[in-house]
Amino acid sequence: MDTVLSGQLLFSALVIGAVYALTGLGLNLVYGTMRLLNIAHGDVVMLGAYLAFWLFSLGQISPLLAAPLAVLGAAGLGALAYLGLFRRQIETTPAVEKLEANSLLLFFGISVVIQNLASLAFTPSPRAVTYLDTIYRLGGVSMTGNRLAILGISVLICVATALVLRYSVYGLAIKALIQNREAAAVVGVNVRRVQIVSLMLGFGLAGLAGTLLSMTEQISPFMGFPFTIAAFVVIIMGGLGNLVGGILAGFLLGFVEIYGVVLTSSNARSIILYGVFVGVLLLRPQGLLGGRRISQ
Amino acid sequence: MKAAFWVIGAGLAGAGAAGLPWLIGDYYLTVALNLAMWIALAQSWTILSGMAGYISLGHVVFYGLGAYCVVVTWQAVPLFVAIPLGGLVAGIFAAVIGAPVLRVRGPYFVILTFGIAELVKYIVINIEASSGQASRLLFGTPSVTDLYLIMLALAAAATGLAWTVRRSRLGSGLVAIREDEEAAQTFGVPVTRFKVYAFILAAVIPGMAGGTFVLRSTYFETTQVFDPVISFSIVTMAIIGGSDDARGPLLGATFLVVLSELLWSTLPQLYLIVLGTLLVVFVLFLPGGLVGLLGPNRHRLVR
Repeated sequence: MDTVLSGQLLFSALVIGAVYALTGLGLNLVYGTMRLLNIAHGDVVMLGAYLAFWLFSLGQISPLLAAPLAVLGAAGLGALAYLGLFRRQIETTPAVEKLEANSLLLFFGISVVIQNLASLAFTPSPRAVTYLDTIYRLGGVSMTGNRLAILGISVLICVATALVLRYSVYGLAIKALIQNREAAAVVGVNVRRVQIVSLMLGFGLAGLAGTLLSMTEQISPFMGFPFTIAAFVVIIMGGLGNLVGGILAGFLLGFVEIYGVVLTSSNARSIILYGVFVGVLLLRPQGLLGGRRISQ
Repeated sequence: MKAAFWVIGAGLAGAGAAGLPWLIGDYYLTVALNLAMWIALAQSWTILSGMAGYISLGHVVFYGLGAYCVVVTWQAVPLFVAIPLGGLVAGIFAAVIGAPVLRVRGPYFVILTFGIAELVKYIVINIEASSGQASRLLFGTPSVTDLYLIMLALAAAATGLAWTVRRSRLGSGLVAIREDEEAAQTFGVPVTRFKVYAFILAAVIPGMAGGTFVLRSTYFETTQVFDPVISFSIVTMAIIGGSDDARGPLLGATFLVVLSELLWSTLPQLYLIVLGTLLVVFVLFLPGGLVGLLGPNRHRLVR
């Protein structure tokens, strides 16, 4: 029982939870404003991780400096995806159900393409960097610098995003779009602009999560999918458009995963993640919108 | 009259296909085995996902369970028991998870099926790891010819099953569910029961196909028989071919098997890149698939 209550585990759970919260926040923006089921979300995380890896191993550039670049790059990809594929798709598909199903298949195709392009370009073998691995001790808990950085930056960005969404005009417009697209357009929200900004922001957060992860995790072209799954769990548990709920759900998932592994075995990690995912969907079969769709 | 034409045609094609092992070499026989397997998988998939519109992105779970079943019982029970047992296990699994899983609709059903397939994969990996084996060796597997003939029978059975279901009460009910589930229920379609039946019917043959194809190689690795690429290929085949017609999966499977023969051995990543791109293009521009392209023209000729 001692190990279960140790600060060490608590710290690990907080770190992984913060990353889940960050990726979930990105997916929440994309799904909420456009009803696009971005199953390639985790692949954007992967691309961010590779950017940090190459900048570090080729140019000795710190992953922390790579982070803003990854955000910009991922945001650019988001803009491309919107202009190239999804603007037309969103505007010509009035039925939300159809749009969701189509976007899922489209993103699935895109995901396979990205993963295999990355595998061709970077080889499928996993890689890792060692950065900021100085150990700090605090109240009997050993923390490496990189994990502290992940936790600090993720929490900071989550809080900043939540504040921006709550108090800025853009934030209000995004929330309006999440609640009702037609009504938002009627009251003067520039739907296209808000959608493209949300997609760029969502992708950017995923890219950021990738650069942070590159400091502690092994990276490979196929590392992304668990993060997509985690992000889906986060928005289903936290509630669509409920950013605070999503952030809490991210931490909760981190706790379930870390403590689940401690209580069973390290092999059980994927079983726990997918088990939670399946369980959450079975308990909320009406989907991410919860009961709201019935009233529509 | 037209149906008789198709039945005779299919009979002739079947007889020709069964004679293949004595006409062509081992390489082409392996290609034919692949083709028969993908036809069996894609036709089965359409029973749930084409007719009822519940797109399964985790069909590999049935394939993998069937394969695992045959591997575990290998040399303990004869093959003609083991392969149907694989189908039975897949069918039972579908029956057990069917009712709760099929309550989940639309895109959530799609990602749920994917999640279930991954979950089962990791559970089987853990079971295998706890028994101390990373992979198993299979001794005395049947010849390619035998496997091909079994697979051909499965492909024919799957095509026949899809054809029969499509023309049955069950099939009409499933199409009604796809068009509007609430309306179907109002008109008295036993929605849940039909969906579960379709799920089971769509699962059994993939279970047997997995059990057969796993004997193609002499070792068994869990990640290979539960590879999500298999689910992805099935969906892409059905979408490229079109799943509203028994010819759709035939076309889609043939197209992708040829493509895979050209690319897989040299550049597997390129094959998957092409597959992903095709999926995007067909969803965007040709939602009816290749058969959808054929459809209107055929009607015009008839007129």
